[in-house]
Amino acid sequence: MRAFAALLRKEVFSLFVSPYIYLLLGTWFLLNGLFFSFILGYPAVEQDLTLFPQFLFGSGLLVWLLLPAFPPLLTLKLFAEEQRTGTLEPLLSAPIRDVAIVAAKYCAAWLFFFTFWIGVLLLFLLLEFHQAPLDWARVGGGFLGAISASSLFLATGLWASSWGGNLILAAGGGACINFLLLFLPVLFENSPGRVGALAKSLHIPNMLDRAFAVGLFDSYALLFFPIMTLLFLWLTWVRLVSRRWVP
Amino acid sequence: MIRAEKLTKKYGPIQALSEVSFQVSPGEILGFLGPNGAGKSTAIKILCSYLPPTSGHAQIDGMDILDHSLKARKSVGYLPENFQAPPELRVFEYLQFRSCLKGATRKEARRNAGYWLERLDLADRVQQPIASLSKGLKQRVGLADALLADPKALLLDEPFGGLDPLQRDDFRTLLKELARKGKAILFSSHVLPEVENLADRVHVLHQGVTQADGSLAELSRKHQANASVLLRVASQAGNLLHQLKQEQSPVHACAIHQKGNTLTIQTPSFEARKKLLPFLAESEIELEMFHLLQPTLEDLFRDLVQPKENQ
Repeated sequence: MRAFAALLRKEVFSLFVSPYIYLLLGTWFLLNGLFFSFILGYPAVEQDLTLFPQFLFGSGLLVWLLLPAFPPLLTLKLFAEEQRTGTLEPLLSAPIRDVAIVAAKYCAAWLFFFTFWIGVLLLFLLLEFHQAPLDWARVGGGFLGAISASSLFLATGLWASSWGGNLILAAGGGACINFLLLFLPVLFENSPGRVGALAKSLHIPNMLDRAFAVGLFDSYALLFFPIMTLLFLWLTWVRLVSRRWVP
Repeated sequence: MIRAEKLTKKYGPIQALSEVSFQVSPGEILGFLGPNGAGKSTAIKILCSYLPPTSGHAQIDGMDILDHSLKARKSVGYLPENFQAPPELRVFEYLQFRSCLKGATRKEARRNAGYWLERLDLADRVQQPIASLSKGLKQRVGLADALLADPKALLLDEPFGGLDPLQRDDFRTLLKELARKGKAILFSSHVLPEVENLADRVHVLHQGVTQADGSLAELSRKHQANASVLLRVASQAGNLLHQLKQEQSPVHACAIHQKGNTLTIQTPSFEARKKLLPFLAESEIELEMFHLLQPTLEDLFRDLVQPKENQ
């Protein structure tokens, strides 16, 4: 536990002092601000501001572009960058369990990505300050969905980061998996038989748009994201232990 | 304390290690020798559980590195060849982090870091970012890292790289002191005089295969075939050279170099040297000096490695 806490502290510190991460954070806030103001200008949203969270968290560019693309840009530092710079070797030869390494790195990325969302939350608080009639159940649901999806996409990013020391592969690979997770179910949802059923059960945009963003807490969606997140964290762990065990 | 049995490592078709066995007892310093690509770093990486062996076993403090990897890693202090640390951390922060990673509380970690910074003459660098350190200073931080948890075994891959002569002296003294305290130390180096000065035993690797293992005295005895005899005569050195080249001379087939009144004979065997003295007595040449030059580690290393490289 001490080793986990030490690594978590170090990873959070390393992320917070990295200029690259602040560039990422700035870009995220800028794009979110643009989307925010853009969606506020929609006629439907102008008429009924309670629909705003659904447009932002359910079907907007935030889901289709920023959510899958940003987490791998953050997680590439966690394994790929360490391997590239040679700091992974001292870490893996230290007496710390592989599961603790994965958990500490993931938690650090998650905590940091949470600050990404705090910036978006501030925009809502700004609306509230101007006495906009927001539906906070939908806002809360939208945030929960976005954070759940971020958790999954951070896990896929972490897995891609563990593939090797190539930063482009880590970021590109993670983003590719995330886009596939988003687009494949959309492409196959109308297929007949099991393929269509599977696509519907893995349909992330639907879960975000029709459950979380309308303030509906669907137990399937609530379980889907943590299970998928654990699956990719497990794959990361497998990748890590395979370096140590597979000749 | 450190025990390797038939360690083999393949990278695809490349055989990096082939059934390498050795052991390092508590209080012993083993020098790992070999040219580039001999498999030294691979063996060390396997011992610190960073790489898995293709076959074979290794133990640290009685713990198998595969079956009890975590416990084995607890007993090891490891300094990689090109030690790297997160550049954003300061020296003290890094060592404190590493100490916590090895199981110390934050208070213990501060104490451990402070002690080794002082001991390795890094006390004035505590607030310096690691990114701004020179290679030698980084190496010392890496050594402090390896020593933080008071490990029973030390694995040091090219630890003298980047150190200046004074730092090397300090480092050598420190390693000898640690060995006296019962630590098993395995280090690889290209700096042969360092190995000669420091190691109780050497293990010579070439192309992943063990060429020799033993104390310097043992290896010298085994490889005396390559020793030289130094002769100095009052006069008639040319005459002696002529006699030594005759067929009845026990060293007629050896390489003999003359420099003034001094002759150096590279003797092929112990037998030849044994017969040389009676032969010289019979030759009635006034001999001022007869000196057997023991091979240095460098000579042994050349003998063990060079012929194979030439093949």
